[in-house]
Amino acid sequence: MSLLVALPIVTVFFGFFETTSDYFLLLKNTFLLKYISNSILLLVGVLLLSFLFGVGSAYCVSFYDFPGVNFFKWALILSFAVPAYIYAYSLTAFFENYGTAFSILTYLFGTYEYNSFIPKVDGLFGSIISISFSLFGYVYVLSRASFYYQSQNLIDVGKNLGLSSKKTFLKIILPSARPAIVAGLSLVAMETLSDFGTVSFFSISTLTTAIYNAWIAFDDLASANQLSFILLLFILFLFFIENFSRKRARYHSPSRGSFVNRPKIKLTGIKSIYATSFCVILFFCSFLFPVLQMMYWTFKFPKYLQDLNFWSLGYNTLLLVFLSCALMIVFAFIANYGNRVTKSKFLEVLTTFSVSGYAIPGVILAVAFITLVSYLDSLDFVNFKSMFIGTVFGLVIVYFVRFFALSSNGIKSGYLKINQSMDESAYLLGYSKFKTFTKVHIPYLRNSVFLISILISIEIIKELPITLILRPFNFETFATTAYIYASQDLLEAAAAPSLFLISIASIFILFVSKYILSDN
Amino acid sequence: MRLIIIITIFFINLSGVTFSKEVNIFSARHYDSDVQLYEKFTAKTGIKVKVVSGKDKALQKRIIEEGEDCVADLYFTADAGRLGAFQEKGAFQRANSKALKKAIPSNFRSPYWFGIAKRARVIYYNPSRTNPPSNLSYEDLADPKYKGKIVIRKSNNVYNQSLVASLIANNGKKKTAEWAKGLVNNMARKPKGNDRAQILAVAAGEADYAVANTYYIALMLSGKKGTEQQAAAKKIKPFFPNQDGRGTHMNISGGGVLKHAPNKDNAIKLLEFLLTKEAQEHIVNNTFEYPMIEGVEPNKLIAQFGLGFKQDLKTKVSKYGKNQADALKIMTEAGWE
Repeated sequence: MSLLVALPIVTVFFGFFETTSDYFLLLKNTFLLKYISNSILLLVGVLLLSFLFGVGSAYCVSFYDFPGVNFFKWALILSFAVPAYIYAYSLTAFFENYGTAFSILTYLFGTYEYNSFIPKVDGLFGSIISISFSLFGYVYVLSRASFYYQSQNLIDVGKNLGLSSKKTFLKIILPSARPAIVAGLSLVAMETLSDFGTVSFFSISTLTTAIYNAWIAFDDLASANQLSFILLLFILFLFFIENFSRKRARYHSPSRGSFVNRPKIKLTGIKSIYATSFCVILFFCSFLFPVLQMMYWTFKFPKYLQDLNFWSLGYNTLLLVFLSCALMIVFAFIANYGNRVTKSKFLEVLTTFSVSGYAIPGVILAVAFITLVSYLDSLDFVNFKSMFIGTVFGLVIVYFVRFFALSSNGIKSGYLKINQSMDESAYLLGYSKFKTFTKVHIPYLRNSVFLISILISIEIIKELPITLILRPFNFETFATTAYIYASQDLLEAAAAPSLFLISIASIFILFVSKYILSDN
Repeated sequence: MRLIIIITIFFINLSGVTFSKEVNIFSARHYDSDVQLYEKFTAKTGIKVKVVSGKDKALQKRIIEEGEDCVADLYFTADAGRLGAFQEKGAFQRANSKALKKAIPSNFRSPYWFGIAKRARVIYYNPSRTNPPSNLSYEDLADPKYKGKIVIRKSNNVYNQSLVASLIANNGKKKTAEWAKGLVNNMARKPKGNDRAQILAVAAGEADYAVANTYYIALMLSGKKGTEQQAAAKKIKPFFPNQDGRGTHMNISGGGVLKHAPNKDNAIKLLEFLLTKEAQEHIVNNTFEYPMIEGVEPNKLIAQFGLGFKQDLKTKVSKYGKNQADALKIMTEAGWE
């Protein structure tokens, strides 16, 4: 299975050794460094902000009690429902010349030339903001889950050693939540590097833009592959650092038996105001702001809402979600269980390798897929093309390649929390490997599976480039409809499908949030 | 195993159903109003229209890779350069239609692809701040006296690539490279945003001149972008450059019949329909482009700026495709982001 996922990536690898082309040379002499530095700045900015937002809010809601904590606990996950490109539409619409901010100021203070006073949130800064607010949820959810199950013992140890709460956080809580935080951050990193929609909307050129340009303007797949290779090196480097630094430590909670429902520390006075306002601002910026902007448009231009074919868009979107979810969860279990049981180095490398599909821009992945299918088709075995290209089936497979990282990493970090000795005890009790899996692993991983199902569903609801290229005739989703309007420069009309997209994703989140956040 | 077979059959049925009376379109020109137009076509002819819309090159890639198995009949996109480049790859087949030849001026078609509507790339200004000299040309935009006064979008934009391609066709590579450097020096800000954002920048006083396509101003004037932008657009006027010379740079949106089209006849019928008076009127009133055929007026929001301007009919739009790669190279080397 991992091999299947790895195939398009291997295609990219071999592309690197093809002859260099004009575009690559030209790029090397002009903008390549700039593109790489843009990619790095974007990555660093987004990682920093998502760490700050994600871990900060998870820490607040997991360990402290302050006004609104029960609301923020799930409300902060809603940020997932807003794709970065829709966030970018909202930012632009609000801050552009004669945009929403201009309208509000005109409404409040009368007619005046406000444009020069309104800050322009665009370019690299706008991209960092859009991507961070739409992705910090990964870090939030994963680190919150980890904080929640953090063994009481560790915190008691901190107290017994006489550490301050700040020191306990830095020296004990944070390090022991590391696998979860890193898992979250690496998902954020990969999505940031492969982002094309947001950065191109803000006309920021990154490595991904260069890949796209090589391919578009020069029709030069060799250069595109070489640039993809650099991008891939980025990711493998990140993986390497993480795996290397984790080598020495093993992260197991001792056992679930000693898990005590720990009362939260009640915050009072200025501290509770800080905590509440941090969460309010985060919730407002990440979710309310884009939603309000979209609602404003939808009400202002109701015609577009009437034109929307809600049922067919909804059916198509959910069909894709359901099929992809089922496929990915099943294979994530197979891959991770295989790793755990066999402890094979090769399998581990292959899994690491296969999850890097997440870092390859969707467009590139889709084309690699088409190329691959065309090759298989030329072998005159079956008519692969009509089965895979322009079909729901093909879409689901490419989603699988793209998002396998999500399910695999999620299950992996769940598995890391189950002590190996649990398996050994089960074997001693005479359980077969299969029985250990169904009776021990699955019950423990139930929460992880729910969590991952949401993550995958949300990703698929939001996914754009792959759906655009590979979808069947007359097959639209909320995302493609929003894109089509946006590309006609009618962001106003894109508001209604965007709002539905956000709503469906939000309902999904709320429906399952009960299971992730339930305290037992 | 049985389940897998059932699922597979389900998927194939879901997508692979084909009707005999149909025409399949891949479109990178995706106006909502085009869909209404296709519905009119179906009502008239009984031919069902199926569409996949998406990004230009991505769709092209899918068409090329699918090869003989590609069930698409027609490919639509904006920009003549894209059509020309796609033709070079052998993606289109000749479509012999007297009606098409008669309707479309020879400059805006090739034997393989056909213009459906026209747009001009013009210079916008705010008459209360500046008035351009009556003989202003694209070439003049590189003049140092316009330093810090011009906004234009990025070099990866295909309309810019076609504009520079037409400059290469008229002035040669060397002169165009100098021109690009001059223009980059004159930019009021780093290129960002779409064509509409350039026009708004002039309205907001960030620059004196914006280079953008004609239909964007009409979109704002129509009120579809809200009352503030409508008011802003009213302050701005388009200027049609190069009136003393070859005329204003024109571009098209159009399409062609694909090489392996299973429904070639239906595809030609649809193209012919798009060039009827009825369809052209629908197009110009929804997208604010210029009509391709005689006897149809553009939307009044566009017509008010004058219809008598000299269009560049000397530079064949089919040259854009050949020069686009050079154009991007020149722009990139000039530091045009």
